[in-house]
Amino acid sequence: MNNHLSEDELILHSYGEVDRADRSRVDEHLASCAECLLAKEKLARVMTMIDTAPPVEAPLGFERTVWARLEPYLEVPGVSPVHRSASKVYDLVFGKTAREGGWLPQWALAGGVAALVIAAFVAGRFSGGDLAAPSSAAVAHVEPDRVLQSAVGDHLDRTQMMLVELANAEVDGADVLAGEQARAGDLVAANRVILRSAIQSGDGQVVDILEDLERVLLEVANAPANATSNDLTDLQSRITREDLLFRLRVIASEMRQRQIDDREAGDPTRRKMPTS
Amino acid sequence: MKGMDERDPSVVAKARDGDRDAFKALVELHSRYIYSLAHRMTGNAQDAEDVVQEAWLKAHKQLSRFEARADVRTWLHRITVNCSIDLIRARRHREDAHDPADLEQGPLSERGAEAQPTPERVAASVEISDRVNEALGLLTALERAAFTLRHVEGMSIEEVGAKLGMKTSATKHSIFRAVKKMRVALEPYAQS
Repeated sequence: MNNHLSEDELILHSYGEVDRADRSRVDEHLASCAECLLAKEKLARVMTMIDTAPPVEAPLGFERTVWARLEPYLEVPGVSPVHRSASKVYDLVFGKTAREGGWLPQWALAGGVAALVIAAFVAGRFSGGDLAAPSSAAVAHVEPDRVLQSAVGDHLDRTQMMLVELANAEVDGADVLAGEQARAGDLVAANRVILRSAIQSGDGQVVDILEDLERVLLEVANAPANATSNDLTDLQSRITREDLLFRLRVIASEMRQRQIDDREAGDPTRRKMPTS
Repeated sequence: MKGMDERDPSVVAKARDGDRDAFKALVELHSRYIYSLAHRMTGNAQDAEDVVQEAWLKAHKQLSRFEARADVRTWLHRITVNCSIDLIRARRHREDAHDPADLEQGPLSERGAEAQPTPERVAASVEISDRVNEALGLLTALERAAFTLRHVEGMSIEEVGAKLGMKTSATKHSIFRAVKKMRVALEPYAQS
């Protein structure tokens, strides 16, 4: 039999998309050509294999990770973004309060004005501009600028420390991943608070690095119990490929310089932040 | 989510009324499904996670317009497919600016974090799903999107082209290339 059907025609036929003008020719050919019929059946078997393949499953605990990533971005009527940031940072700096459900009631902030200042600082750090001077109540409250600088600076330092350890870990020491999971989980939580402020202030460069950091941190936090040396090598390559350590060092260094400048200036309300 | 039955239709209504716990219940119920769909569309875990996040944010924004009688999973499915397409198209635009050869420069599996098969992956590849996913990994992002929309979502070639912003002839060729690659990769395992 000459003029066999092309593979393209067989594909169109399997999807029922042969042009009307060609339909009878293709049908007639298939009815009389064993070779093309066999090719069509082989294609159908491949299609069936694709159809019956189970979908890729999300990793264990994925729903919780999704919610943790999502929750800070959801709008809550009557609750300002600064209030929400403050609540989160308050938890991170001062520990979990008695409140439940994630959002801090107004009264709870009365004793922790520093948290609000921290959130404002975080936002200001990424906006690169001067912040309005905090209220006298805030200034009077145990040096809130120190607290907030420590919160952000500590996060960057701790993240950097962990990445350095991972980047330098022996390739056959894959269990290092398991040992870092809890620490990575904490860092993810802190990273999200800062990331959210960076997104709000539209600092794309900082958002980029924080997002890259989050992915790596999540990878460590969610590493399987039987992580292999290949997993560690992949992670190390990623840290190197994305210049994470270098970029992190630049920002951390700017933070430290700012703390020094503020101390020397003796003015805790001065907030001209680095722009990286 | 204590005290909140995700299968209860009123959960959607409560979520629509701003009940955070109800929305959380929906997230917990449907995220795995959305992930699988996004992974099938995008071909890698990282993009799938981003799509899941984006899909939920869109769902949250559009919740007030959701008809309570409609099927929530169907609604989420549509949002997820659209978010996946947005991601693929956005990447296509970015890569167009860099390289006019658009997304045809190589299979996803050579570009994603999952490029290198671990010993576990190789060992597990006897499974059909692994075979299929490996074969899907041979497709370019555009081939994969076109193939998935045609083969899995059941859109016509014309509809796929409209979704991806491509001419019908180009769409057709993307699907042809995808199916041929899949056939070559899977035929040895697809014996009757």
